[in-house]
Amino acid sequence: MGSLDSYLPIFLMIVLGIVFAALSFVASKLLAPYRPTAAKEAPYECGIVPTHEPTYRFPVRFYLVAMIFIIFDIEIIFLFPWAVVFGQLHTFGLVEILVFAAAVFVSFVYLISNGALDWGPMKRVQPIATDEVRTTSTTVRRVGPSSGEAA
Amino acid sequence: MGDPLFAHGVGLAVLIIAIVKVVVVFAVLMVAVMLMIWMERKVISDMQNRIGPNRAGPFGLLQSLADGIKLFFKEDLLPDKADRVVFRLAPYLTLVPAFLIFTIVPIGGAVDIAHHAFDLQVADPPMGILFLLALSSVSVYGSMLAGWSSGSKYPLLGSVRASAQMISYEAAMGLAVAAVVLEDHTLSTRAIVAAQSASVLHWGVIQTGIVPFLIFWVAATAELNRPPFDLVEGEQELVGGFHTEYSSIRFALFYLAEFMNMITMSAIMVTLFFGGPDGPGFHFLPWVWPILWFVGKTFVFLYIYIWIRAALPRLRYDQLMDLGWKRLIPLALGWLLIIAAFRVDDVWGFAVFAGCLLAAAALGQSIRVGQRRRQIEAETTGEGRAARAAKQVQLRALAARSEEGGAR
Repeated sequence: MGSLDSYLPIFLMIVLGIVFAALSFVASKLLAPYRPTAAKEAPYECGIVPTHEPTYRFPVRFYLVAMIFIIFDIEIIFLFPWAVVFGQLHTFGLVEILVFAAAVFVSFVYLISNGALDWGPMKRVQPIATDEVRTTSTTVRRVGPSSGEAA
Repeated sequence: MGDPLFAHGVGLAVLIIAIVKVVVVFAVLMVAVMLMIWMERKVISDMQNRIGPNRAGPFGLLQSLADGIKLFFKEDLLPDKADRVVFRLAPYLTLVPAFLIFTIVPIGGAVDIAHHAFDLQVADPPMGILFLLALSSVSVYGSMLAGWSSGSKYPLLGSVRASAQMISYEAAMGLAVAAVVLEDHTLSTRAIVAAQSASVLHWGVIQTGIVPFLIFWVAATAELNRPPFDLVEGEQELVGGFHTEYSSIRFALFYLAEFMNMITMSAIMVTLFFGGPDGPGFHFLPWVWPILWFVGKTFVFLYIYIWIRAALPRLRYDQLMDLGWKRLIPLALGWLLIIAAFRVDDVWGFAVFAGCLLAAAALGQSIRVGQRRRQIEAETTGEGRAARAAKQVQLRALAARSEEGGAR
């Protein structure tokens, strides 16, 4: 099992990290006051009493990104062993990876041309050009008893 | 290959050396984080014409320590809507990978103490680079679960953003690292550093032609959620991002992990692209110089991170995603293929280069097509209906006003 020996310090570091975090929590528990109130435990809402449950829904585009990421992550994982042995593969390795990259790239272009990765806001509806002259009487709406409309 | 410490199996002495290494690195990291937070505050203050922390200790050096101690005494709240187990688990998932990534960074050369030769590096696994990528993926879970388990809307949105951002730039980062692996034929960080040690011209940044380094740098900044990619905690929109509901020491651990990741990423950049501890040494205390070179190079990147934070405004989310997916990933992939082709021979090199230019043109066209399609779709579906309704209202108002004008 000689090859796994070099992971020993990593394992020690995992243990040390966990112990450090756990001890911090214990110390905090011992040192910090604990006086919870309903207001303290309510979800943060800028000082307002929250009226809705958190929705747990978010735009579908995030799921799309996650799925597209999987394609690329698999490609990258495939690239690493290839990169290590590329010195021995030469032309064969290059042709292989070009074919592979082309396949990934074509699907990538397909995704992008479908707008799968567009996040930008929609182009705004152009405001209708008015031919009226813009004066204070057309742009400022007066509110109050003298303006003639219900305030 | 590998750390000579484990050449003769694991005995008690080896175990003790390993424990000492781990504890020393742990302590150094903690102190480095403390100093880094202090430095960031001081440098930013200086750039913004302020004084910054100057009360705790000489020049305010102990400010971070004071803040840390203070946070131990603060009430640790657990929101009643939170998923209790996951909420408690998330800080571990963020902190432990932050410590672990640093273990594969070569800090100095080999030393020999009491007939035990070992490398100044916590661990040198044969697949160190994969370990790096795997752990940076694991740390996504930390921020994702922290936000999800808070049971509150701002952390949820922040964590969804964070995970989308981090996985997007991880792809670009992986491709940039693959270029280094291609040059040095190994996944072990120590072997990568050794391959770069011949001269400055052998450093990864020159061998891979600067572009992978720039991509890695941008991707690492995004991965760390540092400005200008700190949309995860965009205060105007998301309050504090995924750790809004965290208080007291739990918050401190997130903060600690964030700064530790910054130090680690700078160290990884130095390792992959700048020869790690490589640099001219002298006969006086020969083992000290590599460490000094390593610390010096890392410091440069840390300073640049702070500088960038002071200089650049935050990106918009669509700009962030466009930069990651439509620019960095194709560029990184194309550059990797070009490097590989030039290693075979020049004819292949120029052929692949031409192919990549064609591919870039195709990509540009597909981006335009995508935007147009999306706009058409928007006009025929919900968003478009809303926009048309708004237009109708505008038209009616205009008609009413002109009628009114006519009547007058």
